[in-house]
Amino acid sequence: MVKLDQINISNDGLTKFFSPIEAAILRALWNEGEMTTSELTGKTNIPLTSVAGTLDRLVKAGYTTRRTENVNGRVRYVYEPVFSEEEAASEITTKVLDSLVQAFGPLAVENFSKYNGKK
Amino acid sequence: MNIVGEITCYGQCLRLWAPIVALIVIISIASIASSLMLKNPRKRLQTFVLAQAAGLFAIAMTFYFMDCSQMLSLYLYFAYVAISTILIFITLRYYDRLMIKRLEAKPAGSMLKWTQEYVDMLTSARLYFFDSAVPKAFAAGRSIFISIGLLEILEDDELKAVLAHEAWHIRHNSRIPFLSRFALMAFSSSFEPELEDQADHFAAEIAGFAALSSARNKIDKVFI
Repeated sequence: MVKLDQINISNDGLTKFFSPIEAAILRALWNEGEMTTSELTGKTNIPLTSVAGTLDRLVKAGYTTRRTENVNGRVRYVYEPVFSEEEAASEITTKVLDSLVQAFGPLAVENFSKYNGKK
Repeated sequence: MNIVGEITCYGQCLRLWAPIVALIVIISIASIASSLMLKNPRKRLQTFVLAQAAGLFAIAMTFYFMDCSQMLSLYLYFAYVAISTILIFITLRYYDRLMIKRLEAKPAGSMLKWTQEYVDMLTSARLYFFDSAVPKAFAAGRSIFISIGLLEILEDDELKAVLAHEAWHIRHNSRIPFLSRFALMAFSSSFEPELEDQADHFAAEIAGFAALSSARNKIDKVFI
């Protein structure tokens, strides 16, 4: 599901895996569940001009789905995340571990067992 | 003489060059076909230019390497002109159908009935909504396209102003005689600002200046 062609280890939080706007949108959707476009721009504090194109991309890439609602003659989009944060986390973890094992083989596995999450 | 005999005769007259000329003609036709199917506008233009260049190159080759009759160069040239004209005509006439398919646009009447009725009052055109959060509106052929993202941000009278603007383009398009559309295609960029002003003038008359200018303020980009 997650297309991880670029990981920026030095970035913060979700922006390691997503662009800052994508990360802000996904974070908001995971927190709130369903959201309209205006709720998303309000919550993320990103102007519509920047959010709109990113939303199209997220829908096309399969991260979010949207449906059109017609409330009293006003048409609007309602967005929903396709994957929960847990599902995304497990998918990303698997992909990163896969690439580590592919690069270092048994050495990588040895380091997983020693890893105790020191920070 | 039958056609096969004639083609064989031309093949003999072109000697070694016959398969090469045939290959270039095939390349030209294939790239015209693929330019119609490509989605990326830049690649579409590139393959279209390639097709035209290959066609002209085939004609030039025939002209220089033909041993006997010059009729084949003429035939190829006529075929080239005919195919290009038909293609340009088809593109102008059916571009909106292509866009409907490409954008998976839905008729507006099923979602907001009054919008199609409003357009019907102004001109005979079909109104379509397409799935994109980016606010966009444009007219092509006899169709008007509005993105859902634009519907989200516009109030009803602002939407009316946008519809009137696009309806003006459709009325204007159908008033241009067929031949001068070729000129328009070649120099369209220099015409656009003026056309947009005229369309806005019409929209302000129909839907009111306030609605038009507030719609303009909200819209990031409105295409022709």
